[in-house]
Amino acid sequence: MGSTSLRRWFAEVGWRHLVGISALVFALFPVLFIVSSSVNAAGTLSGSGLVPSEFSLINYRELLDGTEAPFLSWLGNTIFVAGGAAILNTALAAFASYAFSRMRFTGRRTGLLSILLIQMFPTTLLFVAMFVFVSDIGGVFPSLGLGSRVMLLIIYLGGALGVNTWLIKGYFDTIPRDLDESALIDGASHAQIFFRVILPLAAPILAVVALITFVFTLNEFLVASAVLGQGESEQFTLAVGMFRFIDGQGGEWGQFAAGSVMSGIPVVVLFLFLQKYIVSGLTAGAVKG
Amino acid sequence: MSTAMTDAGSDAGQDQDDRRPGTRSRAGLLAGSMVGLLVKVIALGTLNATSIWALTRLVPAGVWLGVAFVVIATVAIDIVYLSRARWSIALKYLLPGTLLLLAFQVYPVLYTAYISTTNLGTGNILDKEAAIDQVVATSVDTTGGGDGAVSFAARPAQAADGTLGLLLLDERTDPPTVLVGTESGAVPAVDVTFDGDRVAEADGFVALLLGELADLEADFAALEVASDEGIIRLSTLNRAALVAFRLQYDAGTDTITDVTTGTTYTPVEGFFQSEAGERLTPGWEVNIGFENYRRVFASEAIRGPFLQVFVWNWAFAVGTVVFSFVVGMLLAITLDHPDLKGKRIYRALLIFPYALPSFLTVLVWQGMMNRNFGIINDLIGLDVPWLTDPWMARASVLLVSTWLSFPYFFLVCTGALQSIPRELTEAANVDGANGRQAFRAVTFPLLLIAVAPLLISSFAFNFNNFNVIFFLNRGGPPIAGAQTPAGSTDILVSYTFRLAFESGRGQDLGFATAISILIFLHVALFSAWSFRRTARLEEI
Repeated sequence: MGSTSLRRWFAEVGWRHLVGISALVFALFPVLFIVSSSVNAAGTLSGSGLVPSEFSLINYRELLDGTEAPFLSWLGNTIFVAGGAAILNTALAAFASYAFSRMRFTGRRTGLLSILLIQMFPTTLLFVAMFVFVSDIGGVFPSLGLGSRVMLLIIYLGGALGVNTWLIKGYFDTIPRDLDESALIDGASHAQIFFRVILPLAAPILAVVALITFVFTLNEFLVASAVLGQGESEQFTLAVGMFRFIDGQGGEWGQFAAGSVMSGIPVVVLFLFLQKYIVSGLTAGAVKG
Repeated sequence: MSTAMTDAGSDAGQDQDDRRPGTRSRAGLLAGSMVGLLVKVIALGTLNATSIWALTRLVPAGVWLGVAFVVIATVAIDIVYLSRARWSIALKYLLPGTLLLLAFQVYPVLYTAYISTTNLGTGNILDKEAAIDQVVATSVDTTGGGDGAVSFAARPAQAADGTLGLLLLDERTDPPTVLVGTESGAVPAVDVTFDGDRVAEADGFVALLLGELADLEADFAALEVASDEGIIRLSTLNRAALVAFRLQYDAGTDTITDVTTGTTYTPVEGFFQSEAGERLTPGWEVNIGFENYRRVFASEAIRGPFLQVFVWNWAFAVGTVVFSFVVGMLLAITLDHPDLKGKRIYRALLIFPYALPSFLTVLVWQGMMNRNFGIINDLIGLDVPWLTDPWMARASVLLVSTWLSFPYFFLVCTGALQSIPRELTEAANVDGANGRQAFRAVTFPLLLIAVAPLLISSFAFNFNNFNVIFFLNRGGPPIAGAQTPAGSTDILVSYTFRLAFESGRGQDLGFATAISILIFLHVALFSAWSFRRTARLEEI
């Protein structure tokens, strides 16, 4: 390869790799740092670097022992709350979207607009009211009071009719009505049309909405902290637990890093798996934390 | 499951099933509808049973709003899912989400508005009755020796089950009254045996002899008998003194009087307060109208930091959107070249900051930016106050929030670029435009149209992006001289959180919700404005 053609290659394509690699360095630096910290025997913030001074899995072992923090409980609670919220919210939003997309009834337009209006008050901003509300509920139903994961999940379900409904309804609108009509002629009920015709075709948007809800709930701190914060630490979600963990005792950096890696990997895998759907979902207006 | 919601319209259609290959047979459909019916009966049965159980708890507790909600919701669900009428079909799909929305979104919004007009918080969490009880009950000095004016002849005694008590002779009456005092209070004795002028036994409590007392001396010293007048305790082994409550509540005038000084306390804004302004704690929850809102703007020590938080909130949200959009877009354009190899790898790896849970990555940044132990200062060999200097901290927050969001805009811009037909830029090139001109005149405007709604929703999201602010630096460093806990990088929502749960004067829930309502109004105004700018609503 002559130097002129190399220069041309660089002017046309090569510099793009330079930019891309710089972006990768910026994007992945914290990721490398935390992975390295997690396998560094030093286990402290000051002892952590980009390359572990001494490779060891002791941080993972100590964290999973649960002497410092009930990490596995947090992980389980998070999967319960965020997974439950993702599945149930998507289901509730899909039900509502079907009505809004396929049926004409009085109050349809008002309903759609009200949903949009109510969503201006994000759930997270309601944390003070939730705190008092849940503590009131606990006065009557102690098992659902402050410190209850189940209550936290139920609270998140209140946000099902929101942006998600709009996203899914928009997608349903693009599914040709001819399909419904031919199913109707075949004798399908509205429920059969919904479950057998519409839902399978809408799988991409449902996957995106479920993922976005999962990640949003996973990241949600304000309401989770208001509802769980004064209860048993075994009931915490990862967001509440990990924050307290590193905030209270900055010395346990290695264990925090190990926990971050273990909680981060499943989410990244999900994202990579659903990547091609995500871009289309994002362009339709999904936002996550 | 699917036939659980069949309506009249589908019954006619089933006749055609036998003739159509590939669809389920009539028998199959019938079996399906039997299963559906069963599921429906079980689900509704469980719901109704749960509701009745809930009512047995709600009614005795007197929570009438809860009772009303449970009754109305249950009846509505029963009617909608049992009805076969046409009007019920849409409701079958809408009702569950709507009920949850009402309970956990609409009600909390209204509740927030209500709390913002109260003084609810540490010190004002009780209702008035409980607050009065507590104020009066704590108004004795139980540390002193008991030098009350009233004293009784007393004998330590014990019941057969081991309960300790005092046999008290109240000589203020004629004939003297015998009282049995235990931890649960003092009651007049019914069945009394005297030993000379001393009480030997009353209501099963037998006076102890000196020898028997030795082991129990400490227990008797600690025994406090709460009577209506005050607290009775042993002062010597045969006398007990009454320490009267210093504060007495008078229900007629709704005042509390200090009997030792004669000071009268009247209820003012959830506290009993003397004329000199001295408050008795605890107070109780009371409606104080718009006092919380007035506080935001009236006091310079609160208003100054509040406005600073407000301005920074805007700068932060706008800055984050602009920086991450520009970085993401430029990157998308750079990497969107037909001859570039490894595009997929770039895209897969660049998704990491966006995909990883932000509460974790922001905490990682916090560690990396630590001034003394952080890796960044370590690598560059400098002593940069990333998080401790107000302006550096703001820059750091923007850096981290850009790190979090630029992959999002990279992804959407990549998607949008691919949807712009190449012919358009080629046509511009044919017309003599160079790459930059074609971008500015053709690609960029089209890109902006595709991305504009996302810029607005990203702004709305970042406006309340609590995690970045709080996990990076807890909103700090603190603003000097602020009366409320306000920090240089605090945005409104993190400021609210700190007021509610981390304030130095305890939880200040009323004031915190007032700020929440101000955020709501502000977001609502902004959204109304942006809706008018987009024609989105016309499409429904």
